[in-house]
Amino acid sequence: MTKEKFDVLIIGAGAYGLSCAWWMAKRRSGARILVVDEGEFASGASGRNGAGFRMQWGLDLNIRLCQESTRFFETAAEQLEYPRGIELKQDGYLVLAHSEKALAALKGSLEVQHRYGVPSELLSADDCLKMVPALGRNRLVGGTFCGKDGTISPFLLLDSLLKACRREKVDVRYGTRVEKLERNGGGFRALVQDGPIEADKILLCTDWAVPELLASLGLNLPVKSLPKEAIVTVPCTPRVKPILISLEHHISVNQVNRGSIVFVVSRAREGKEIASTPDFLAFASQKIIDLLPGVADVPVLRTWGGVSSLTPDMQPILGETEIEGLYVAVSSFRGLMTSPAVGRIMSALILENDTNDPVLTQLTPRRFKTGDLIVEPLLNQE
Amino acid sequence: MQRSIVIIGAGPAGMAAAIEAVRRGCRVTVIDEGPRPGGQIYRQPHPALHGEDFAEPSELARKHRLIDGFQAVIDRIDYRAEANVYAVFPNGEIHLAQGDRTEVLRPDAMIIATGVREQAIPFPGWTIPGVMFAGGAQSILKAQRVLPGRNVVVAGCGPLPRVVAAQILRAGGSVAALASLRSLRAMLRYPRSLWCGRDILREGLRYEWTVLRARVPQFTGYVPVRAIGGERLEAVALARIDAEDRIVSGSEREIACDLLAINYGFVANSELAAMTGAEMRRDPVIGGWVAVTDAFGRTSVPGVFVAGDSAGLRGALVAECDGTIVGAAAAVPSTAVDGAALKTNLAATMARRTRHLEFQQAVRATLRLPDGIWRIVTDDTLVCRCENVRFGEIREALESGHRSLNAIKRNVRSGMGWCGGRTCLHAIASLAEAATGQAPAEMMTPRPMARPVPFAAIARQKRAAAE
Repeated sequence: MTKEKFDVLIIGAGAYGLSCAWWMAKRRSGARILVVDEGEFASGASGRNGAGFRMQWGLDLNIRLCQESTRFFETAAEQLEYPRGIELKQDGYLVLAHSEKALAALKGSLEVQHRYGVPSELLSADDCLKMVPALGRNRLVGGTFCGKDGTISPFLLLDSLLKACRREKVDVRYGTRVEKLERNGGGFRALVQDGPIEADKILLCTDWAVPELLASLGLNLPVKSLPKEAIVTVPCTPRVKPILISLEHHISVNQVNRGSIVFVVSRAREGKEIASTPDFLAFASQKIIDLLPGVADVPVLRTWGGVSSLTPDMQPILGETEIEGLYVAVSSFRGLMTSPAVGRIMSALILENDTNDPVLTQLTPRRFKTGDLIVEPLLNQE
Repeated sequence: MQRSIVIIGAGPAGMAAAIEAVRRGCRVTVIDEGPRPGGQIYRQPHPALHGEDFAEPSELARKHRLIDGFQAVIDRIDYRAEANVYAVFPNGEIHLAQGDRTEVLRPDAMIIATGVREQAIPFPGWTIPGVMFAGGAQSILKAQRVLPGRNVVVAGCGPLPRVVAAQILRAGGSVAALASLRSLRAMLRYPRSLWCGRDILREGLRYEWTVLRARVPQFTGYVPVRAIGGERLEAVALARIDAEDRIVSGSEREIACDLLAINYGFVANSELAAMTGAEMRRDPVIGGWVAVTDAFGRTSVPGVFVAGDSAGLRGALVAECDGTIVGAAAAVPSTAVDGAALKTNLAATMARRTRHLEFQQAVRATLRLPDGIWRIVTDDTLVCRCENVRFGEIREALESGHRSLNAIKRNVRSGMGWCGGRTCLHAIASLAEAATGQAPAEMMTPRPMARPVPFAAIARQKRAAAE
């Protein structure tokens, strides 16, 4: 068997993996890049999420990552030479607060957003109800809105990236599971079912599964898996124009162009199963009606599940590990919306050793050893 | 302690299973979509409707004997008409919607007897009003006692199109043409099967006689390749498929009609079985993906049974025997199923089932579709009606290496719409097989909901106390 050798092996062909691969291929043409994924096209969290992107965060780094990514989504059709487009929709995001504490966090975040020029604004409870009459008044105290936030089609983003990668001669292989990583001189060896693959550098983009692969090299990273479930309704009359998220309900709502409404509902649990849980539908329906009584009559068409990653400070992990040449990019449940910026930053780091982006200092894997955890004000509303 | 059994579906298999399980002292719940028991094949008209039934008398006698047997025990059954099971789970939970609320049941055993639906093969124009399934046309006759069309072309394969043509004639309609993909002579290669099915054959011959006497123009080896019309169907183009599975150029002929009734066999309603996590296998002739079951209808999941056509097409007579056998197996503790007592007890029914199954060998020979049939699907043909997906898009997804139904779905949205893929997925699997030489290894991941249910009803949920 001829040994296969690559400059960079990327494990995981989700939004992070494919975006990093595309940016690398653009940055250095002729680079030998292989992307492997144990599943099939769009079968992981990148194909199972709520499809939203937003710049409404409270922390500089999240705002910057999403601002850059939003600009990319706005021009993705041209940049990725994908005439069909990625179904970009910028109807805005309405972030709702159902307690004074949440409202205070929204107001604080608004100031940071304005520093970066994010066109977000504060809304009263009445403004929110005017914008979305289907909402319930119960406990609602206000919200913030940014008209530049929106949604894309995750499937079309992944397909456009996949086609762009292949055009740039990136080798993308589905159904290829890496069992184990080994060090090999200055580089690495990845064991897959067809034999070993050698690579000078490795980037792990398997999100919640990153610890498994790191363990084979004696490293650990505190990444947990967070299963989520989603609901899609049959197409119905327009009821929810902007994307809604409720900090306390842990629900996001997106009515897509076809008229179906997509709800992603989070509950605190751990696991790696994407299967639907028996008590989910009733639990979620009660919460959804509490948040949005105006959809109570809408029939549910289907549910699905996905697993995202969760880190101790709920922030992504980007950077080189303690082993030189071994990199990680863990999304912490916002991979789709940050993937363009992460692709650019990681490709510069890996190919050019460019560590200038301040995001890299904050999101380094080393922070869990040094204790420099980060706080995102909009993610700690229980 | 009385065993609790939930039976999903009140067709021949479900009714027979319920009768048997009640007889054996179980607490039985039957959940059915229809307003009255009977399922598709033994569909009953609204009681206020009078008028002739166009089926054979012997067939009607079978139907009424079983329905009467079910009615005789119905007051000992928790019978839920017009109720939908929208989800089942590997832990044995059954979630059903009835009226404006939902309920969760967790019986000792569940019997899935959800039958089959008709197999759609898309072709140019198949979505024009006036093109429908032959079984659907028959249902209109059975349940509403009205003619689904005045001047009908009936097409497809197997026995059903011929029966439907005869029933339309008996109801006073006119049949402009009967197109059969294969001659029923294929059955002659199974003399033993024919002997076992002689009673059914007799009914079949009487339907044939109706068709012959009416001098219906017959086109053997022909399939509809184009439906013609705008708002309404005006005509259909038939073309011949030759021995090499090619559509013969120049063989096309147009026939004026206001209804095209087609049946290309059946697809098992196996989504609920798959949701329990039961092991599945694919066999296009008997209904695509079906649960792997043993002689007692047991699946790979303890406590989950499948009976009748939803375990693989077998016809009403087998389904009825099947129901009795599976109902008995579900009624006893799992350790007793393999014991000698149950087998002895069921010996006569099992022998009858074997005999009826033998006849199905001959029927199946007429339902095998040639690969060439998929060539009637052009790039422009709408395949997934809910999401407006044409075959060209699916072909492109296949060509870029997306071979599984899940991957195709994520690329082109086929199967994501209102029907949840019930109409198109089986066709897409066969199209993928015809295009790439390899059938997708798995069905599209089955998930709740099997039927759409409003949030309000799901939120108003009654949960049986744990036993």
